[in-house]
Amino acid sequence: MSLARNQSLALLALLVIIATTLSIALPSKFLTVINLQSMASQFPEFGLLALAMVLAMITGGIDLSIVAIANLCGVVAAYILSKSIGMEIAPSIAIFAAIIAVLIVSVICGLINGALIAKMNVPPILATLGTQGLFLGLAIVITGGHSISTFPEEFSFVGNANVAGIPVPFMIFTAAAIVVGVILQRSRQGFDMTLIGANFTVSKYSGIDNTRTIIKTYVIVAILAGIASLIMISRANSMRPGYGEAYLLSTILVAVLGGTDPDGGFGNLWGVILGIFILQLTQSGLNILSISPFFTKFIWGAALLSMLVVNFYLPKIVEHRKLERARFRENNRDIAGPE
Amino acid sequence: MSEPFFHVENISKSFVGVKALDAVDLSIAEGEIHCLIGENGSGKSTLIKVIGGIHKPDTGSVFIDGKCIDGMSPIEAIRAGIQIIYQDLSVFPNLTVAENISINQSLESGQQVVNWRAIRETAKKALADIGEEIALDELVGNLPMAKKQIIAISRAVTQNAKLIIMDEATSSLTNEEVKHLFSIILKLQEKGVSTLFVSHKFGEVFEISENITIFRDGKMVGSYPTTELDSQRLSAIMTGREVTFDRYIYKDKNVDEVPLLSVRNLSKRKQFSNISFELHRGEILGIVGLMGSGRTEIATSLFGLNKADSGQILVKGMPVEINNPQEAIANGIALLPEDRAGQGLYEDQTISDNIVVTILKSLLAKSGLIDTAKRKNTAEDWAARLNIKTPTVEAAVKSLSGGNQQRVVLAKWLATEPDVFILDGPTIGIDIGSKHTIHTIIRELAEKGMGIIMISDEIQEILDNCNRILLIHEGRIVQEINDTAKIDAEDLFKLVSERGSFEAA
Amino acid sequence: MNIKNLIKKQEIQLLIFVLIFSTMITIISPAFLTLENLFDLLRGSSGVAILAIGIFLVLLSGGIDVSSTTIAIAGQYIAINVMMAMGVNNIWFAFAISISVGISLGAINAIFISILNLPTLIVTLGTSSLFHGALLEFVGTRSINSGNLPRAIKEFGKYKILVLERANGSEYGLSVFFLIMVLVVILTWLILRYTMIGRGIYAIGGNQDAAERVGFKVKKIKLFVYCYAGFLAGIMGVMHVALIRSANPQYLVGSELSIIAAVVLGGTRISGGVGTISGTMIGVILITVLEKNLVLLGLSSYWQKFFVGLIIVMGVIITYGDLSRKKRDENSSAKAIEPSSQVNSASQVNKGDVL
Repeated sequence: MSLARNQSLALLALLVIIATTLSIALPSKFLTVINLQSMASQFPEFGLLALAMVLAMITGGIDLSIVAIANLCGVVAAYILSKSIGMEIAPSIAIFAAIIAVLIVSVICGLINGALIAKMNVPPILATLGTQGLFLGLAIVITGGHSISTFPEEFSFVGNANVAGIPVPFMIFTAAAIVVGVILQRSRQGFDMTLIGANFTVSKYSGIDNTRTIIKTYVIVAILAGIASLIMISRANSMRPGYGEAYLLSTILVAVLGGTDPDGGFGNLWGVILGIFILQLTQSGLNILSISPFFTKFIWGAALLSMLVVNFYLPKIVEHRKLERARFRENNRDIAGPE
Repeated sequence: MSEPFFHVENISKSFVGVKALDAVDLSIAEGEIHCLIGENGSGKSTLIKVIGGIHKPDTGSVFIDGKCIDGMSPIEAIRAGIQIIYQDLSVFPNLTVAENISINQSLESGQQVVNWRAIRETAKKALADIGEEIALDELVGNLPMAKKQIIAISRAVTQNAKLIIMDEATSSLTNEEVKHLFSIILKLQEKGVSTLFVSHKFGEVFEISENITIFRDGKMVGSYPTTELDSQRLSAIMTGREVTFDRYIYKDKNVDEVPLLSVRNLSKRKQFSNISFELHRGEILGIVGLMGSGRTEIATSLFGLNKADSGQILVKGMPVEINNPQEAIANGIALLPEDRAGQGLYEDQTISDNIVVTILKSLLAKSGLIDTAKRKNTAEDWAARLNIKTPTVEAAVKSLSGGNQQRVVLAKWLATEPDVFILDGPTIGIDIGSKHTIHTIIRELAEKGMGIIMISDEIQEILDNCNRILLIHEGRIVQEINDTAKIDAEDLFKLVSERGSFEAA
Repeated sequence: MNIKNLIKKQEIQLLIFVLIFSTMITIISPAFLTLENLFDLLRGSSGVAILAIGIFLVLLSGGIDVSSTTIAIAGQYIAINVMMAMGVNNIWFAFAISISVGISLGAINAIFISILNLPTLIVTLGTSSLFHGALLEFVGTRSINSGNLPRAIKEFGKYKILVLERANGSEYGLSVFFLIMVLVVILTWLILRYTMIGRGIYAIGGNQDAAERVGFKVKKIKLFVYCYAGFLAGIMGVMHVALIRSANPQYLVGSELSIIAAVVLGGTRISGGVGTISGTMIGVILITVLEKNLVLLGLSSYWQKFFVGLIIVMGVIITYGDLSRKKRDENSSAKAIEPSSQVNSASQVNKGDVL
């Protein structure tokens, strides 16, 4: 609890420092409405994927297929949208149909992942490693490897418009983050997910429906990826399978950076959101400073590794000491029962 | 007595301010079977680790063959002839029997190249030394627990162990297997190998040991020849107080009413067959039997984790289907599982989460979201009711003592307001003081009208707390003892351990 | 049935699958089953196989490594750049540089993993980002194409250990790549089977606590594992540039997951301790044959990713779906009455299998 809070505070401090530095260093470039708007419409597609990854990781799993799901959804939506122009279907209907299709496709993808993991007990990393190829492969098959472009003009609202000066993608992300927050903090699904991540067997013995909860988790994960796909294709006004593949590792990075325990059972939504902001801020900042994206990549690796050391290593020392202390009162207590 | 072959003197060890061992002495003669007994947390494990070179003592020395071997590393301890068999046995499930047995020998030789023939020969010889036969090429992961134990012992033998320390060696063994283990220990004794047997099971301690050393709160509080002790005296020394057990008296023998639970001909292939019994309000029904007799399987079956092939379960006279724990809970059945750390509690999560996990549904507001205030109050309420000692329910469960942890498990199940509460090993790994309070809680629950099924290895516990006992053997109920007042611990122990002696009954 | 038999069975299943698939291809397109095509296949997949062996070792020790492709490309690109800058035209020099880079980067992984005891997936994610970022930022981003490559590299790529003649008189043959792969397989097999470090890798993967207690130097063994994986990545880096005759620091990175998939398909447990080199090789062959030859079945190349994904999904269902069902049964009956069925399978087991 307090660890999560400390972590969020540390991340917040880092965010403020970076923001202040950039504002002072580049007052005319960084702190402009245009730049803020552009940042706020850039990160949501990635941010949604990161939220998805966090949910999977909280249950002690991982979902390597999120970008592939976004690709498949994106391809299906793009296909519908671009066809609609030729067929002279009203844009509103086409957009509606595309959204419904994305929903259906993402739910199916989520169900497949969930079933593999929860029903067939395939380790999540392997199940989603396989479905990643399956989903992305399907996207490639549908498009024949080409990109699909030109959508009804109205559709660009999703990725490019501002309402009252606030970019629509940002609003979508905010809404999704709130929903994810409510799920994690206040819903039975979130409670069960966290406990399954903490200990699968204990959950089974406590009357939690593990199978159902895990399947639902991967469906929610997939839906978030589906929403991300809508923003992606709208912003680019086209869809090419393979888009956003670099996002995958970054989502894991941000999740861990934000304080999600890769072993499950602990997640820190605030930490992750701050992590996403920091990522965007540094990227834009370095961009404005014309520092190469490669250097950014380097920085990110270094940041993840140092965070790892801080996140896992230091608390473990502290905890280990505490635990050791507790062990004396209680020397054999973990030798509780037969295995 | 001449100079003891092995002794420790004046060992003290503190960890961040807590004194785990306080000027402890212990001596073992060559070929002696010595037992170290004490409540959990009395310092037994710490002493073992000091002897094994894993912990460095603050003061004091360890002597073997009159030679001081202070400050040695684990590998040096092994070289000095000390072998520790930990409770988890330290075997490799993915390696063969031969390699598992010979691995210390191979490492010890210092050779970087593996000699497979030597490995097989070492293993064959070690097994022969203790008169055992196990296929050398079998993977250890495929073997039952008792065989893994034999492998661990054989490994110790390959190292010319002079002293073998067995830490809670019997906890996963059936009584039959324990007997076999004891025969091996005796065989080792003939070869002059000493054994330090660490346990908290009185029966075994009296059966195997020649001398008993008792620890309490990090101090050695006594060392006696086994013949001078009896279980009453031993338990008094261990706990520092005379624990007197009074039996549970089943007051309202209201057997006319519909039983809370009726089980009819419950069977599952290879596990149990034709299990039939009734449980009435206010009863504490004991189920005893050897490990592997099917008792835990019956319990998990009633709780929906191990669906029976045939038979019927009636709750308050109504036939019910129990396919999963959710349905069991809905039918008023709760199960406190055998393995607290692995099945009962989320050690890293908060006390609060551990308590409310079973009743989260009732904490949802109309919106479908969790009512956080209600959740907090419920958790605090249960923590208070069961007298769980913690500054806050937001603390992690692992910060609690074993007794308090078990109260959290009780709380989480009592919150579901069960009619039938199945307790599988309710006091495993809990010290004697806390045991007593757990028993008191259980009795109070029964007196208030709950039906309780208690499964336990400890005969005394069953006898003290149950008004009726079912004896399970090879998956069948072989005897029902309706009046526990008429039987004493020794008789019951005999009944349980002498398999098949009353098949006619 | 035990784990080892299950693996053997899985290897055989895979092999049968490969054979059926190859037969299908041969029937549809007889051109497939020529020695020349086989040699091509071996040349093309030897590098990947070497990388896969490194990953296999890491999985065996209970870890996972997603940085191996990055390490390979780093070794390669640095080696080529150094050669060009110094004007050295020697294949041994290329290997020396690439392998040194590989071992050093592997050692960095090992520091985080074995000394600081951090989770392997996240560490190697971090280091791959770190290494690749550093490579692109500090070494360069320029693609070096065939014309500019040191001659020794191109010659090495063409070097054959067995030369045959086509009907028209032109030559083809078995690439030296195959020989390198065979050497790596033998070396790794010897290490796993006949050195204490190798047995330690199995021991750590099986039960790390126990390994520590019986006296294995766990940190040292893990250090070896990640350095060895780096060493193999270094070798692979040079083979890769010789194969495609172009050095681009953006190549290879991104294919690590499919190599891991190949190893896992070959029966190596992601939880560590269980797996064989032969399984790994079959896994690699399966993925390569599938990737390279779907076209011959009349399917457009777009289907390739889909089918590989499908095979992986089916593979993991067979392995893990099967095992978990068995495990569930075992759990519920573990304490049940007769343990007799568990004994007596010794005759079917081969001891300490590596191959």
